[in-house]
Amino acid sequence: MQSLAAPTHLHSTPLPSRRKLLSPTPRRSLQCHSLLSSSSSSSSSSSTPKPEPLKSTFVPLFKTIAASSAAALLLHVRSISLDFGSGGGSGGFGGGGGGGGDGHGGDGGSFWRKLFAPAVANADEPQSQEWDSHGLPANIVVQLNKLSSFKKYKLSEILFFDRRRWTTVGTEDSFFEMVSLRPGGIYNKAQLQKELETLATCGMFEKVDMEGKTNPDGTIGVTISFTESTWQSADRFRCINVGLMPQSKPIEMDADMTDKEKMEYYRSLEKDYKRRIERAKPCLLPIPVHREILQMLRDQGKVSARLLQRIRDRVQKWYFDEGYACAQVVNFGNLNTKEVVCEVVEGDITETNIQFLDKLGNVVEGNTQVAVVIREMPRQLRPGNVFNIEAGKQALRNINALGLFSNIEVNPRPDEKKEGGIIVEIKLKELDQKTAEVATEWSIVPGRGGRPTLASLQPGGTVTFEHRNINGLNRSINGSVTTSNFLNPQDDLAFKLEYVHPYLDGVFDPLNRTLRVSCFNSRKLSPVFTGGPGVDEVPPIWVDRAGVKANITENFTRQSKFTYGLVMEEITTRNESSTICPNGQRVLPNGGISADGPPTTLSGTGIDQMAFLQANITRDNTKFLNGAIVGSRNVFQVDQGLGIGSKFPFFNRHQLTLTRFFQLREVEEGAGQPPPPVLVLHGHYGGCVGDLPSYDAFTLGGPYSVRGYNMGEIGAARNILELAAEIRIPVKGTHVYAFAEHGNDLGTSKDVKGNPTEVYRRLGHGSSYGVGAKLGLVRAEYAVDHNSGTGAFFFRFGERF
Amino acid sequence: MASLIREWVGINTFASATQTKLLELLGKLKQENVNTLTILVMGKGGVGKSSTVNSIIGERAVSVNPFQSEAPTPFMVSRSRAGFTLNIIDTPGLIEGGYINDRALEIIKRFLLNKTIDVLLYVDRLDAYRVDNLDRQVVKAITDSFGKGIWNRAVVVLTHAQLSPPDGLPYEDFCFKRSGALLKVVRLGAGLKRRNKQDFALPVVLVENSGRCNKNENDEKVLPNGTAWIPDLVKTITEVVSNGSKSIFVDKKLIEGPNPNERGKLLIPLIFALQYFFVVKPIERAIGDDIEKESRPSWDN
Repeated sequence: MQSLAAPTHLHSTPLPSRRKLLSPTPRRSLQCHSLLSSSSSSSSSSSTPKPEPLKSTFVPLFKTIAASSAAALLLHVRSISLDFGSGGGSGGFGGGGGGGGDGHGGDGGSFWRKLFAPAVANADEPQSQEWDSHGLPANIVVQLNKLSSFKKYKLSEILFFDRRRWTTVGTEDSFFEMVSLRPGGIYNKAQLQKELETLATCGMFEKVDMEGKTNPDGTIGVTISFTESTWQSADRFRCINVGLMPQSKPIEMDADMTDKEKMEYYRSLEKDYKRRIERAKPCLLPIPVHREILQMLRDQGKVSARLLQRIRDRVQKWYFDEGYACAQVVNFGNLNTKEVVCEVVEGDITETNIQFLDKLGNVVEGNTQVAVVIREMPRQLRPGNVFNIEAGKQALRNINALGLFSNIEVNPRPDEKKEGGIIVEIKLKELDQKTAEVATEWSIVPGRGGRPTLASLQPGGTVTFEHRNINGLNRSINGSVTTSNFLNPQDDLAFKLEYVHPYLDGVFDPLNRTLRVSCFNSRKLSPVFTGGPGVDEVPPIWVDRAGVKANITENFTRQSKFTYGLVMEEITTRNESSTICPNGQRVLPNGGISADGPPTTLSGTGIDQMAFLQANITRDNTKFLNGAIVGSRNVFQVDQGLGIGSKFPFFNRHQLTLTRFFQLREVEEGAGQPPPPVLVLHGHYGGCVGDLPSYDAFTLGGPYSVRGYNMGEIGAARNILELAAEIRIPVKGTHVYAFAEHGNDLGTSKDVKGNPTEVYRRLGHGSSYGVGAKLGLVRAEYAVDHNSGTGAFFFRFGERF
Repeated sequence: MASLIREWVGINTFASATQTKLLELLGKLKQENVNTLTILVMGKGGVGKSSTVNSIIGERAVSVNPFQSEAPTPFMVSRSRAGFTLNIIDTPGLIEGGYINDRALEIIKRFLLNKTIDVLLYVDRLDAYRVDNLDRQVVKAITDSFGKGIWNRAVVVLTHAQLSPPDGLPYEDFCFKRSGALLKVVRLGAGLKRRNKQDFALPVVLVENSGRCNKNENDEKVLPNGTAWIPDLVKTITEVVSNGSKSIFVDKKLIEGPNPNERGKLLIPLIFALQYFFVVKPIERAIGDDIEKESRPSWDN
């Protein structure tokens, strides 16, 4: 009275190896659930599909999640094994195969684990022990149950025989992975029987059999012959996320149920499943993959176990490719209907848990406010979303960019309370809040007569300190003082003190504005007082700036931002001997030096004070495409004088930079792919209306202006225009480039007081061209300066654009 | 001012015919209510500026040193005759070491502060066969210093006019070619446009300062073409003075040029507003577009 019905549900788990790699996914008891009907039905009794020894020993082990249309199931089974007509006759009957099953789920789970982790399974076997010879004549076929229970058999080989195709399938077949037996392994009869049992119950096979063939050397070869399970062909596919749904608890079926009761029972199961499908969240699987799977279903005709395996692999592949590392196909339901339902546990995040660890790894109360960390996490990592490994990596990068932690871990962890849920656990080790550093150096400078003396020994160095993460809100104060001579620090004391206050609008406000207040000083050689070609030795002018700056930076994206603030500074111009000089020096034709060159400051005293507003907006959508930059970058900066300071400076100094990186050929994106050739076009306009002291004049020439010239060698002007084009050709992991550049003062050199361009005999415009190669961080280039027509080799750090 | 206004006695050294002509011309100027005439002499070094000055005055008022550049300061010679004052300002050469001597120019400008220039004598040599970029630079420097208008009051003086032209060229042709080439450079350097040609019809005068200069029957110094050049020069000067253009008054503004720091200052608030609305805002919008168009990972929706 018992019949073997085909499984309607196929449960599987992702490959363990993959799982280990990607994430500790919940070890749910996701099992191979095959639904084998242990019920008898009048119709099936008449059909008697191939009696099996297994049938009698079969216990319905598995927890079923859903029932399917039993009637269709039976019809189908018979259509395979028997003639179609009789199947049709009993078509309306709601008997058989629907969701039987009970709560002995555990075993099945272990089976699947074995199935996909043969190594683990084999580890259980006592491999070191010797094996027993079969003790039978060679070359005879032995049924499994004829084997001795007391012997340990060594398997010489395992063959799969597909009865439907009537061929032996190779190890490449997808079924092969389901067997934990391995050639050369030693197994006893019980193990072999267990193996057979698990194969029979996994739902992939309608019928499976194992027989041994004795070999002369005492080993046996095992042939597993099987008939693959098949179901009615389907033309619809549905994928549902059953992640956080409670597992349905099947009602224990009473063996004494009448047929009517049984029908009732199956109907209710069917109804439950339908409800379940309806309640389930739609899964993330996109339409194209859906279509692909539909195509698979259509091509195949009948739904077979192998097809389901392929569908499972395809679905899981999509999830893994997209980074949904916790997703797994757990079940196929509704088989033998027109629709195949793929049940996926996608890995819904139930909780985000942020922990702070001390140096020893103990959980402690952190100093950092949790909101600071939370705002760095992509939305995808917040509860209610599906865990994605890429989002996790993004969170890791974002949190790391805060610079507050020495160690960051983002772990997905199965939620013990809510099955199928994922807890995203973020473990952070905070850096010390206060750090201070002193770096010292001694320098021996030549004393009188060129000989170093003891008095010329100079202690120098840098003192830096930082107090970070004040109030746990990532505010920080840092400062540094550098001098080459602590005994006489007024000579070259460089200092910087900065206070950074992020989340100006509150840590919960999505607006990301940061306030920075800093005191600074700097000393730079003025490129305005530089000679043109053929002019040797223009006495240098040092421009010292010291002041206070307060600005607010609004970050739109990682690269695009808007900064605006106030700068108050004092500018002092000094000559070589560090004395304040109000005018540049110039070399007279007779070789003498006169100190009545162009004025260095607005006030004419050598010291200017001024306050101005500074705004800078940067739009940068460049990105790396296989290592080459493509996109565009626009920067506009304006310094608006306020009329506060020496001689009431009122000015509007502005510059606009436009840089485009054109990709010249489409390339595939991905690691190892070659970068595209890129054309870079660059334009820079600078201009000033109003008071323009010489130190604020725009200079032309230099590695970041017009290559091939020295800093300021072309001129210093009120308005400038620079144009550049560069073509980059990728060569062996780096690139070579050719460029042409031009800088022009637009005839405004004379509009700088004292006309330093002319005084130092510069042309005011110039072009250059050249070629170069990028060697790591260094650019090696040969540039020809068009004004003098001579070329030179340069080595530069960093990028021109 | 180093020199006091002295009686113009040098005029007596000229030939009587010359004297007559000069006095006639000065009388004409007086009729036009011109009582003072200030002549600025400029040019490259060693072309004979100082000699020309001496020739006009008729005495050795300025020391001439043929091998060394004269004192690097301008020098004004003032002579008066019958209520008419003639000021001639001799200047150092503008070229030093292949470049414009900015310092010399600066000194000249300072010297000329608060003076009125009636006539500019731009001096070059007739016997220089070529014009080059240097000439242009000199012209440009003069233009930059005093403005284009000075060329309305200018006379091109070509010295060393007593020469026999090379290749047997007729004297007239040679002079025409040479002056034509120079005028072209002057026009170019001064940035005079072609349509202004009439306005800037630069007169050219030939001069021979040498003591070996030929003389005619009236004992006047004459050129190879027979012109008595001193009266001719003065005549041209008077013509320039009375051509209706304005004298150049050298003030602070002229010397220093318009203060570029003041230009457009009133427009700054407007510029700032325009920058905000037409540069910053569009960039901000572009950033907004970028954010929308950004290719995000499929999980980030």
